[in-house]
Amino acid sequence: MIRHHPTLETLLAHAAGTLADGPAVVVEAHAQGCPQCRATLDALDATGGQLLGELSPAPLEPATFERVLARLDVSPAVRPSPPRQASLALPQGTRLPAALRNAQIGRWFWVAPGVRYSRVRLPWAPAQNLMLLRVGGGRRVPHHSHGGMELTQVLWGGFRDGDDRYGPGDLGEADETTAHQPLADPEGCICLASLEGGLRLPWLTRLLGK
Amino acid sequence: MTALDAPVPDGADLSALIARVAASRDRTAYAALFKYFAPRVKAYLRRAGMEGAEAEEATQDVMLIVWRKADRFDPARAGATTWVFAIARNVRIDHLRRRNSGAASTMPELDTEEHAPSAETLMLADEREERIRMALDGLTDEQREIVRLSFFSETPHAAISSALALPLGTVKSRIRLAMVKLRAAIGNDS
Repeated sequence: MIRHHPTLETLLAHAAGTLADGPAVVVEAHAQGCPQCRATLDALDATGGQLLGELSPAPLEPATFERVLARLDVSPAVRPSPPRQASLALPQGTRLPAALRNAQIGRWFWVAPGVRYSRVRLPWAPAQNLMLLRVGGGRRVPHHSHGGMELTQVLWGGFRDGDDRYGPGDLGEADETTAHQPLADPEGCICLASLEGGLRLPWLTRLLGK
Repeated sequence: MTALDAPVPDGADLSALIARVAASRDRTAYAALFKYFAPRVKAYLRRAGMEGAEAEEATQDVMLIVWRKADRFDPARAGATTWVFAIARNVRIDHLRRRNSGAASTMPELDTEEHAPSAETLMLADEREERIRMALDGLTDEQREIVRLSFFSETPHAAISSALALPLGTVKSRIRLAMVKLRAAIGNDS
Protein backbone atom coordinates (compact mmCIF):
# COMPACT_ATOMS: atom_id res chain seq x y z
CA MET A 1 0.00 0.00 0.00
CA ILE A 2 1.29 3.45 -0.88
CA ARG A 3 1.58 5.69 2.19
CA HIS A 4 3.74 8.57 1.04
CA HIS A 5 2.70 10.81 -1.82
CA PRO A 6 3.95 14.03 -3.38
CA THR A 7 2.54 17.09 -1.61
CA LEU A 8 -0.47 18.73 -3.21
CA GLU A 9 1.71 21.75 -4.03
CA THR A 10 4.07 19.52 -5.99
CA LEU A 11 1.20 17.84 -7.85
CA LEU A 12 -0.18 21.32 -8.61
CA ALA A 13 3.16 22.44 -10.03
CA HIS A 14 3.32 19.26 -12.13
CA ALA A 15 -0.19 19.81 -13.51
CA ALA A 16 0.60 23.45 -14.19
CA GLY A 17 3.79 22.48 -16.05
CA THR A 18 6.03 24.53 -13.76
CA LEU A 19 7.82 21.64 -12.06
CA ALA A 20 11.39 21.19 -13.32
CA ASP A 21 11.97 18.25 -15.68
CA GLY A 22 13.84 16.10 -13.15
CA PRO A 23 11.22 16.20 -10.37
CA ALA A 24 8.50 15.91 -13.02
CA VAL A 25 9.86 12.51 -14.09
CA VAL A 26 9.89 11.30 -10.48
CA VAL A 27 6.29 12.48 -9.95
CA GLU A 28 5.29 10.72 -13.19
CA ALA A 29 6.96 7.53 -12.01
CA HIS A 30 4.99 7.77 -8.77
CA ALA A 31 1.67 8.58 -10.45
CA GLN A 32 2.01 5.64 -12.83
CA GLY A 33 1.77 3.36 -9.81
CA CYS A 34 -0.59 5.43 -7.66
CA PRO A 35 -4.29 5.64 -8.61
CA GLN A 36 -4.91 8.30 -5.95
CA CYS A 37 -2.31 10.71 -7.35
CA ARG A 38 -3.44 9.96 -10.90
CA ALA A 39 -6.96 10.96 -9.89
CA THR A 40 -5.63 14.14 -8.27
CA LEU A 41 -3.60 15.00 -11.38
CA ASP A 42 -6.67 14.39 -13.57
CA ALA A 43 -8.67 16.72 -11.34
CA LEU A 44 -5.95 19.36 -11.46
CA ASP A 45 -5.90 19.09 -15.26
CA ALA A 46 -9.64 19.66 -15.18
CA THR A 47 -9.04 22.75 -13.04
CA GLY A 48 -6.60 24.00 -15.66
CA GLY A 49 -9.18 23.25 -18.35
CA GLN A 50 -11.85 25.18 -16.50
CA LEU A 51 -9.52 28.18 -16.14
CA LEU A 52 -8.49 27.95 -19.82
CA GLY A 53 -12.15 28.16 -20.82
CA GLU A 54 -12.54 31.33 -18.74
CA LEU A 55 -9.63 33.20 -20.34
CA SER A 56 -10.36 36.21 -22.50
CA PRO A 57 -9.48 35.22 -26.06
CA ALA A 58 -6.25 36.76 -27.40
CA PRO A 59 -6.28 38.07 -30.97
CA LEU A 60 -4.59 35.80 -33.52
CA GLU A 61 -2.59 36.93 -36.50
CA PRO A 62 -4.86 37.12 -39.55
CA ALA A 63 -3.50 34.05 -41.36
CA THR A 64 -3.11 31.72 -38.39
CA PHE A 65 -5.95 29.42 -39.36
CA GLU A 66 -4.73 29.15 -42.98
CA ARG A 67 -1.20 28.38 -41.77
CA VAL A 68 -2.48 25.57 -39.57
CA LEU A 69 -4.71 24.23 -42.37
CA ALA A 70 -1.63 24.06 -44.60
CA ARG A 71 0.13 21.92 -42.02
CA LEU A 72 -2.73 19.51 -41.30
CA ASP A 73 -1.68 16.94 -43.86
CA VAL A 74 2.04 17.11 -43.23
CA SER A 75 3.25 14.07 -41.32
CA PRO A 76 4.85 14.87 -38.00
CA ALA A 77 8.58 14.35 -37.64
CA VAL A 78 9.62 10.82 -36.80
CA ARG A 79 10.36 10.05 -33.22
CA PRO A 80 14.00 9.98 -32.19
CA SER A 81 15.53 6.57 -31.64
CA PRO A 82 15.32 5.08 -28.17
CA PRO A 83 17.94 6.32 -25.72
CA ARG A 84 20.97 4.38 -24.49
CA GLN A 85 20.13 2.50 -21.37
CA ALA A 86 22.70 0.44 -19.49
CA SER A 87 21.29 -2.91 -18.48
CA LEU A 88 21.30 -2.53 -14.74
CA ALA A 89 21.15 -5.72 -12.75
CA LEU A 90 17.83 -5.25 -10.98
CA PRO A 91 16.17 -7.64 -8.55
CA GLN A 92 13.88 -10.11 -10.26
CA GLY A 93 10.48 -8.67 -11.07
CA THR A 94 11.70 -5.07 -10.84
CA ARG A 95 11.28 -2.90 -13.87
CA LEU A 96 12.20 0.70 -14.40
CA PRO A 97 9.19 3.01 -14.44
CA ALA A 98 7.70 3.84 -17.84
CA ALA A 99 8.45 7.49 -17.02
CA LEU A 100 12.13 6.68 -17.73
CA ARG A 101 11.61 5.20 -21.19
CA ASN A 102 13.11 8.20 -22.97
CA ALA A 103 15.95 8.75 -20.49
CA GLN A 104 19.56 7.69 -20.87
CA ILE A 105 20.61 5.48 -18.00
CA GLY A 106 24.22 4.91 -17.02
CA ARG A 107 25.77 1.90 -15.31
CA TRP A 108 26.10 1.58 -11.56
CA PHE A 109 28.94 3.52 -9.94
CA TRP A 110 30.23 3.02 -6.44
CA VAL A 111 29.82 6.20 -4.38
CA ALA A 112 30.11 5.04 -0.78
CA PRO A 113 30.23 1.68 1.01
CA GLY A 114 27.04 -0.13 0.01
CA VAL A 115 25.78 2.78 -2.07
CA ARG A 116 25.67 2.71 -5.86
CA TYR A 117 24.54 5.39 -8.23
CA SER A 118 23.40 5.43 -11.85
CA ARG A 119 23.12 8.73 -13.66
CA VAL A 120 19.78 9.27 -15.37
CA ARG A 121 20.08 11.81 -18.15
CA LEU A 122 17.07 13.40 -19.78
CA PRO A 123 18.08 14.24 -23.37
CA TRP A 124 15.64 17.18 -23.32
CA ALA A 125 16.94 18.51 -19.99
CA PRO A 126 20.51 17.25 -19.56
CA ALA A 127 21.36 19.53 -16.63
CA GLN A 128 18.73 17.98 -14.37
CA ASN A 129 20.14 16.08 -11.43
CA LEU A 130 18.36 12.74 -11.63
CA MET A 131 19.67 9.36 -10.53
CA LEU A 132 18.97 5.81 -9.54
CA LEU A 133 20.35 4.87 -6.13
CA ARG A 134 20.96 1.38 -4.88
CA VAL A 135 21.60 1.15 -1.17
CA GLY A 136 22.67 -2.12 0.44
CA GLY A 137 20.73 -3.74 3.27
CA GLY A 138 21.00 -1.80 6.53
CA ARG A 139 23.22 0.88 4.98
CA ARG A 140 22.70 4.56 5.55
CA VAL A 141 22.74 7.15 2.85
CA PRO A 142 25.39 9.64 4.02
CA HIS A 143 23.90 12.41 6.14
CA HIS A 144 22.94 15.25 3.88
CA SER A 145 20.80 18.30 3.34
CA HIS A 146 19.76 19.95 0.08
CA GLY A 147 19.84 23.29 -1.64
CA GLY A 148 16.30 22.63 -2.91
CA MET A 149 13.67 19.98 -3.33
CA GLU A 150 14.57 16.29 -3.21
CA LEU A 151 12.09 13.69 -4.48
CA THR A 152 12.72 9.99 -3.90
CA GLN A 153 10.52 7.30 -5.40
CA VAL A 154 11.05 3.78 -4.04
CA LEU A 155 11.26 1.22 -6.85
CA TRP A 156 12.27 -1.78 -4.78
CA GLY A 157 12.88 -2.54 -1.13
CA GLY A 158 12.54 0.36 1.23
CA PHE A 159 14.11 2.70 3.75
CA ARG A 160 13.42 4.43 7.02
CA ASP A 161 13.76 8.15 7.50
CA GLY A 162 13.24 9.02 11.15
CA ASP A 163 9.90 7.48 12.11
CA ASP A 164 8.68 7.09 8.55
CA ARG A 165 9.06 3.96 6.49
CA TYR A 166 9.07 4.15 2.72
CA GLY A 167 8.24 1.06 0.67
CA PRO A 168 7.76 0.31 -3.03
CA GLY A 169 5.62 2.99 -4.68
CA ASP A 170 6.16 5.56 -1.92
CA LEU A 171 7.51 8.98 -2.74
CA GLY A 172 9.50 10.96 -0.18
CA GLU A 173 9.67 14.72 -0.51
CA ALA A 174 12.35 16.73 1.29
CA ASP A 175 13.37 20.35 0.90
CA GLU A 176 16.10 22.72 2.00
CA THR A 177 14.81 22.56 5.57
CA THR A 178 15.37 18.78 5.77
CA ALA A 179 18.65 17.26 6.91
CA HIS A 180 18.45 13.49 7.03
CA GLN A 181 20.24 10.19 6.85
CA PRO A 182 17.85 7.56 5.49
CA LEU A 183 18.47 3.94 6.52
CA ALA A 184 17.87 1.16 4.01
CA ASP A 185 15.73 -1.84 4.96
CA PRO A 186 17.53 -5.16 5.55
CA GLU A 187 16.99 -6.24 1.92
CA GLY A 188 18.24 -2.92 0.59
CA CYS A 189 16.59 -0.28 -1.53
CA ILE A 190 16.50 0.99 -5.10
CA CYS A 191 15.17 4.51 -5.64
CA LEU A 192 14.74 7.05 -8.36
CA ALA A 193 15.70 10.47 -7.01
CA SER A 194 15.82 14.04 -8.25
CA LEU A 195 17.82 16.74 -6.54
CA GLU A 196 17.56 20.46 -6.95
CA GLY A 197 20.21 22.88 -5.87
CA GLY A 198 22.83 20.26 -5.19
CA LEU A 199 23.55 18.02 -2.27
CA ARG A 200 25.15 19.24 0.95
CA LEU A 201 27.28 16.63 2.58
CA PRO A 202 28.80 17.82 5.85
CA TRP A 203 31.09 14.75 6.04
CA LEU A 204 32.47 15.42 2.57
CA THR A 205 33.03 19.08 3.38
CA ARG A 206 34.93 18.06 6.50
CA LEU A 207 36.92 15.49 4.57
CA LEU A 208 37.99 18.11 2.05
CA GLY A 209 38.91 20.48 4.87
CA LYS A 210 36.59 23.23 3.72
CA MET B 1 -25.39 36.17 -38.18
CA THR B 2 -22.08 37.84 -37.50
CA ALA B 3 -19.25 36.15 -35.66
CA LEU B 4 -20.08 38.20 -32.60
CA ASP B 5 -23.56 36.73 -32.39
CA ALA B 6 -22.42 33.13 -32.77
CA PRO B 7 -23.16 31.25 -29.58
CA VAL B 8 -20.15 30.16 -27.57
CA PRO B 9 -20.05 26.35 -27.65
CA ASP B 10 -20.37 24.57 -24.33
CA GLY B 11 -18.40 21.53 -23.18
CA ALA B 12 -20.72 19.01 -24.82
CA ASP B 13 -20.59 20.94 -28.12
CA LEU B 14 -16.79 20.98 -28.05
CA SER B 15 -16.59 17.27 -27.27
CA ALA B 16 -18.92 16.53 -30.17
CA LEU B 17 -16.76 18.66 -32.50
CA ILE B 18 -13.61 16.76 -31.48
CA ALA B 19 -15.45 13.48 -32.07
CA ARG B 20 -16.36 14.64 -35.59
CA VAL B 21 -12.74 15.49 -36.34
CA ALA B 22 -11.70 12.07 -35.05
CA ALA B 23 -14.39 10.18 -36.96
CA SER B 24 -14.24 11.86 -40.37
CA ARG B 25 -11.46 14.47 -40.41
CA ASP B 26 -14.29 17.02 -40.53
CA ARG B 27 -12.72 20.40 -41.36
CA THR B 28 -15.88 22.36 -40.61
CA ALA B 29 -15.89 20.94 -37.10
CA TYR B 30 -12.16 21.65 -36.86
CA ALA B 31 -12.72 25.27 -37.88
CA ALA B 32 -15.25 25.65 -35.07
CA LEU B 33 -12.81 24.12 -32.58
CA PHE B 34 -10.09 26.41 -33.85
CA LYS B 35 -12.29 29.46 -33.47
CA TYR B 36 -13.02 28.61 -29.84
CA PHE B 37 -9.70 27.23 -28.68
CA ALA B 38 -6.91 28.97 -30.61
CA PRO B 39 -7.47 32.46 -29.09
CA ARG B 40 -7.79 30.99 -25.58
CA VAL B 41 -4.70 28.83 -26.01
CA LYS B 42 -2.81 31.87 -27.21
CA ALA B 43 -4.03 33.86 -24.19
CA TYR B 44 -2.79 31.05 -21.96
CA LEU B 45 0.62 30.93 -23.64
CA ARG B 46 0.99 34.72 -23.45
CA ARG B 47 0.22 34.64 -19.74
CA ALA B 48 2.75 31.84 -19.38
CA GLY B 49 5.44 34.24 -20.55
CA MET B 50 5.64 33.70 -24.32
CA GLU B 51 6.24 36.65 -26.60
CA GLY B 52 3.87 37.27 -29.50
CA ALA B 53 5.66 35.32 -32.25
CA GLU B 54 6.46 32.36 -30.02
CA ALA B 55 2.92 32.27 -28.63
CA GLU B 56 1.60 32.33 -32.18
CA GLU B 57 3.80 29.44 -33.27
CA ALA B 58 3.03 27.43 -30.13
CA THR B 59 -0.70 28.02 -30.62
CA GLN B 60 -0.38 26.51 -34.09
CA ASP B 61 1.46 23.53 -32.60
CA VAL B 62 -1.32 22.99 -30.06
CA MET B 63 -4.04 23.16 -32.69
CA LEU B 64 -2.16 20.72 -34.93
CA ILE B 65 -2.01 18.22 -32.09
CA VAL B 66 -5.76 18.67 -31.58
CA TRP B 67 -6.19 17.64 -35.21
CA ARG B 68 -3.75 14.73 -35.11
CA LYS B 69 -4.77 13.30 -31.77
CA ALA B 70 -8.51 13.86 -31.93
CA ASP B 71 -8.99 10.09 -31.98
CA ARG B 72 -7.24 9.87 -28.61
CA PHE B 73 -9.81 12.15 -27.01
CA ASP B 74 -12.16 10.28 -24.69
CA PRO B 75 -15.02 12.38 -23.35
CA ALA B 76 -15.57 9.84 -20.57
CA ARG B 77 -12.10 10.65 -19.24
CA ALA B 78 -11.83 14.39 -19.59
CA GLY B 79 -13.75 17.36 -20.87
CA ALA B 80 -12.71 19.10 -24.08
CA THR B 81 -11.12 22.10 -22.38
CA THR B 82 -9.26 19.78 -19.98
CA TRP B 83 -7.87 17.80 -22.90
CA VAL B 84 -6.78 20.92 -24.77
CA PHE B 85 -5.31 22.42 -21.59
CA ALA B 86 -3.11 19.32 -21.15
CA ILE B 87 -1.93 19.59 -24.77
CA ALA B 88 -1.23 23.34 -24.42
CA ARG B 89 0.69 22.80 -21.18
CA ASN B 90 2.86 20.14 -22.80
CA VAL B 91 3.56 22.30 -25.85
CA ARG B 92 4.49 25.14 -23.48
CA ILE B 93 6.94 22.86 -21.65
CA ASP B 94 8.44 21.74 -24.96
CA HIS B 95 8.89 25.33 -26.15
CA LEU B 96 10.52 26.28 -22.85
CA ARG B 97 12.98 23.42 -23.23
CA ARG B 98 13.84 24.49 -26.74
CA ARG B 99 14.28 28.07 -25.61
CA ASN B 100 16.54 27.03 -22.75
CA SER B 101 18.64 24.57 -24.71
CA GLY B 102 18.75 26.72 -27.83
CA ALA B 103 18.36 23.57 -29.88
CA ALA B 104 15.65 21.73 -31.72
CA SER B 105 13.52 19.61 -29.47
CA THR B 106 14.97 16.19 -28.78
CA MET B 107 11.85 15.29 -26.90
CA PRO B 108 9.49 12.85 -28.52
CA GLU B 109 6.14 14.49 -28.99
CA LEU B 110 4.67 14.68 -25.52
CA ASP B 111 1.81 12.31 -24.97
CA THR B 112 -1.11 13.72 -23.13
CA GLU B 113 -3.12 10.67 -22.22
CA GLU B 114 -0.71 7.99 -21.22
CA HIS B 115 -2.30 6.63 -18.12
CA ALA B 116 -4.74 3.81 -18.35
CA PRO B 117 -7.92 5.26 -16.90
CA SER B 118 -9.07 3.93 -13.58
CA ALA B 119 -12.68 2.73 -13.35
CA GLU B 120 -13.34 5.70 -11.10
CA THR B 121 -11.98 8.10 -13.69
CA LEU B 122 -14.27 6.67 -16.34
CA MET B 123 -17.36 7.17 -14.25
CA LEU B 124 -16.60 10.55 -12.88
CA ALA B 125 -15.24 12.79 -15.66
CA ASP B 126 -18.44 14.84 -16.01
CA GLU B 127 -19.17 14.90 -12.34
CA ARG B 128 -15.58 15.85 -11.52
CA GLU B 129 -15.64 18.82 -13.86
CA GLU B 130 -18.89 20.02 -12.33
CA ARG B 131 -17.48 19.68 -8.80
CA ILE B 132 -14.38 21.61 -9.81
CA ARG B 133 -16.44 24.38 -11.34
CA MET B 134 -18.39 24.68 -8.09
CA ALA B 135 -15.28 24.50 -5.93
CA LEU B 136 -13.63 27.28 -7.96
CA ASP B 137 -16.78 29.36 -7.55
CA GLY B 138 -16.54 28.81 -3.80
CA LEU B 139 -13.08 30.36 -3.55
CA THR B 140 -12.52 33.96 -2.51
CA ASP B 141 -11.37 36.30 -5.28
CA GLU B 142 -7.85 36.21 -3.86
CA GLN B 143 -7.77 32.42 -3.73
CA ARG B 144 -9.09 32.15 -7.23
CA GLU B 145 -6.36 34.49 -8.43
CA ILE B 146 -3.79 32.36 -6.60
CA VAL B 147 -5.01 29.21 -8.37
CA ARG B 148 -5.13 31.02 -11.71
CA LEU B 149 -1.59 32.34 -11.32
CA SER B 150 -0.41 28.89 -10.19
CA PHE B 151 -1.58 27.49 -13.51
CA PHE B 152 -0.81 30.37 -15.81
CA SER B 153 2.45 31.97 -14.67
CA GLU B 154 5.96 31.02 -15.62
CA THR B 155 7.04 31.75 -12.03
CA PRO B 156 3.90 31.35 -9.92
CA HIS B 157 5.37 32.30 -6.54
CA ALA B 158 6.84 35.58 -7.78
CA ALA B 159 3.68 36.37 -9.77
CA ILE B 160 1.40 35.72 -6.79
CA SER B 161 3.65 37.78 -4.55
CA SER B 162 3.58 40.79 -6.86
CA ALA B 163 -0.08 40.54 -7.98
CA LEU B 164 -1.43 40.28 -4.44
CA ALA B 165 1.28 42.30 -2.67
CA LEU B 166 2.18 39.35 -0.47
CA PRO B 167 5.66 38.72 0.92
CA LEU B 168 7.25 35.74 -0.91
CA GLY B 169 7.49 33.91 2.41
CA THR B 170 3.72 33.76 2.82
CA VAL B 171 2.91 32.76 -0.77
CA LYS B 172 3.45 29.07 -0.12
CA SER B 173 1.01 28.97 2.77
CA ARG B 174 -1.57 30.95 0.77
CA ILE B 175 -1.32 28.47 -2.09
CA ARG B 176 -1.77 25.69 0.44
CA LEU B 177 -4.88 27.35 1.87
CA ALA B 178 -6.45 27.71 -1.56
CA MET B 179 -5.58 24.12 -2.41
CA VAL B 180 -7.11 22.84 0.84
CA LYS B 181 -10.38 24.44 -0.22
CA LEU B 182 -10.14 22.74 -3.61
CA ARG B 183 -8.98 19.49 -2.10
CA ALA B 184 -12.42 18.12 -1.30
CA ALA B 185 -13.50 18.70 -4.88
CA ILE B 186 -10.43 17.15 -6.43
CA GLY B 187 -10.62 14.08 -4.22
CA ASN B 188 -7.29 14.28 -2.46
CA ASP B 189 -7.69 13.54 1.21
CA SER B 190 -4.10 13.04 2.21
